[in-house]
Amino acid sequence: MEFSQHDPNLKPSRPGEPEFELYTIPSHSSWFIWDDIHETERIALKDFFDGSSISRTPKIYKEYRDFIINKYREEPSRRLTFTQIRKSLVGDVSLLHKVFNFLDKWGLINFGAASDDSKDLLEDKKLKNRIRVEEGAPIGVRAVAMPNSLKPITVPPFGVDGRAVVGETGFKLPPLASYSDIFAGLVELKGLKCANCGERCNSGCYEYSKDNYRVCVKCFKNGNYGENKSMDNFKYNDCTGNGITHGDAWTEAETLLLLESVTKHGDDWELVAQNVNTKNKLDCISKLIELPFGEFMMGSAHRGSATGPTGSMNSVKQGLSVSSEHQEITKTGDQVDEHMNESEQNGDAANQEPPAKRKRIASLSDAGSSLVKQVSRISTMVGPHITAVAADAAVTALCDEISCPREIFDGDDDYLTDGSWSPTMLYESERAHRIDASEMKEKPSESETKETSTKKNDIPLTLKIRAATATALGSAAANAKLLADQEDREIEQLVAAIIEAQLQKLHSKIKHFDDLELIMDKEYAEMLDLKECIVEQRIDVLQKAFIAGVSKWRDQTYIKP
Amino acid sequence: MKLPATSSFKAPVKFRMPTADNLVPIRLDIENEGQRYKDAFTWNPSDPDSEVVVFAKKTVRDLKLPPQFTTQIAQSIQSQLTEFRSYEGQDMYTAEKIVPIKLDLRVNHTLIRDQFLWDLNNYDSDPEEFARTFCKDLAIDDPEVGPAVAFAIREQLYEIAIQSVASAREIKISKKGRRGAEHMSASKAGGNALDLMKLFRFNSSIVRKRKEWEVYEPFVDILSNEEVDVLEAREERNTR
Repeated sequence: MEFSQHDPNLKPSRPGEPEFELYTIPSHSSWFIWDDIHETERIALKDFFDGSSISRTPKIYKEYRDFIINKYREEPSRRLTFTQIRKSLVGDVSLLHKVFNFLDKWGLINFGAASDDSKDLLEDKKLKNRIRVEEGAPIGVRAVAMPNSLKPITVPPFGVDGRAVVGETGFKLPPLASYSDIFAGLVELKGLKCANCGERCNSGCYEYSKDNYRVCVKCFKNGNYGENKSMDNFKYNDCTGNGITHGDAWTEAETLLLLESVTKHGDDWELVAQNVNTKNKLDCISKLIELPFGEFMMGSAHRGSATGPTGSMNSVKQGLSVSSEHQEITKTGDQVDEHMNESEQNGDAANQEPPAKRKRIASLSDAGSSLVKQVSRISTMVGPHITAVAADAAVTALCDEISCPREIFDGDDDYLTDGSWSPTMLYESERAHRIDASEMKEKPSESETKETSTKKNDIPLTLKIRAATATALGSAAANAKLLADQEDREIEQLVAAIIEAQLQKLHSKIKHFDDLELIMDKEYAEMLDLKECIVEQRIDVLQKAFIAGVSKWRDQTYIKP
Repeated sequence: MKLPATSSFKAPVKFRMPTADNLVPIRLDIENEGQRYKDAFTWNPSDPDSEVVVFAKKTVRDLKLPPQFTTQIAQSIQSQLTEFRSYEGQDMYTAEKIVPIKLDLRVNHTLIRDQFLWDLNNYDSDPEEFARTFCKDLAIDDPEVGPAVAFAIREQLYEIAIQSVASAREIKISKKGRRGAEHMSASKAGGNALDLMKLFRFNSSIVRKRKEWEVYEPFVDILSNEEVDVLEAREERNTR
């Protein structure tokens, strides 16, 4: 008979046919077992489980519960009322009421009963009640004439009067209202309030899906979520702290504000958060990262407005257009400066003369071309040897790419590196001049290089620029590699140091234990000695006692050594 | 099962209504120049006393009573509050105490007779809630019945609480007098309450004997107008 079926379909349908003896309980009450008391019951009805009184014990609770449920199942289609069960149960009615309400809320009783009718009935009654109350003073409060009094009094029409007053002033204290009746309502307006216990829902609340009925977590757990409301219609609403609730949803205006303040204040997040106002620092940062262009924003914020990647790009383009213009008039030699830079670059790569470089950089910066400047800056970062190799590789790549005569570059290189006279070169005298410069190995003067470069401006400028860029990239890569290697080494060293330290620690510990063992051994030996000594003494004493012949005392000592 | 001794070690509770809301039942029965005003309501003793006069004035105005009633109403409320406050600050007897509450009242046309047990140390109990359930379960439409039932419960609880203060005082005195008196006084103080041991130890079941069901079952009767008149006349005679 005591078999409960957990119907997942939750429809307050009639319970199973009588021949099957199946009972429907809601799925949210599936914790219920006849033989045990569940945690839910323990939480909701603490009174029975804190051992505070002899009339409230788990055993008594279980008896109450079983009786009520059985009583309901005698006739599951009828609604069981509290008044019906309290006559047959011994105990405090408030407590019984609590148990009854608990079972009712969880659908363990009255679930199959036609609840809709009673609900309507209840609501009707409520409505009626309210109307009656508003009519004015209750009928029980009245002034009546004494039966033997000579002057009968007509009952004053309170109802009409009361309503009129309300209509006139708009807000009027209801008659027979107490202080807290009126002002409790005003206080409750602030913040989310539990509709059941009236406390503020700080930690979160359950919201009823149909209207604004809210219940705090405590009441929900206790099962007190209002009349006529089933727990399935409640949705948990987390409202812990402002940060989380607002953190989820960023409004358009807030995002805009965030972007504005980021561009203004950079990565000073304190200021940004102050500007955004409704969000905290963490929220701002995470939002910015979430934004599709967030990283770019951060990048520009870091760098400021001076030189961005776009800036250098522009200069490159300018350089290119300039060079294409001048390609037609390469032979005119009017871009001496640029050419010179280029040749110097080449010279730098080829000559491998570190001391000469400083000066060249100075001249480069004089030239004012940002590209070349950068190339030179990068090339200074690595050793001259690496720059040379990079330049060489760049040139080779370029030649492969556009299948232009390598001699354009080669001539220079061969000439400079080997110092041999190349028959392919046209202006031999000039070359000689150059050789002098390179062989002197001492800073070639500006005029000298200018001369040589003017003679050599037959190399297309585009090529030169590309070569320079490639060189720069190569050297940068080499630099990065170098740095990475260095880092690796450092890490290795650190790890080694750590391992060594750990080993040392272990060693010292082992040593410490050894010492301890030694001490223990020593003490053990001492103890043994002492024991021996004591045994000897005891034998001595016993012998003396023997001789003296004190038998009783001896017995005692044997029993209690 | 825990021993009952543990419950008597609870810290003594200062006097208050043994319910969730500390509301004092106030009953008014004022006669003046051939007019009689009867009323019953609860009052929160922590409200400022100035409210009493305000309340009295409002009542008189709302009910169109002669103005002399104002002072009388205020005085009556005030004196009942003062009586309540005279007990405040005194210790109450805190041991387990379940008392029978008997209802026998007539509200307009509804006659109610009922009996049930009430735990005096359950400070979460709510007579108003109980009365609401009562009316709902018995399908009583008259909105005045609920408050009247709750008020009747409160009145009885109030009386028992006063007794409890007295017995707590007794225990204190007897404790001073001689040692070992605790056991005696405990049984003496529990005189009014039902014997819990009998209820929960030896009676193996919490289910009442069938023959007792009638006693603890609510009895509700709706009276006709004539019956009400007869009853009212009898009540009048009794009060005289």
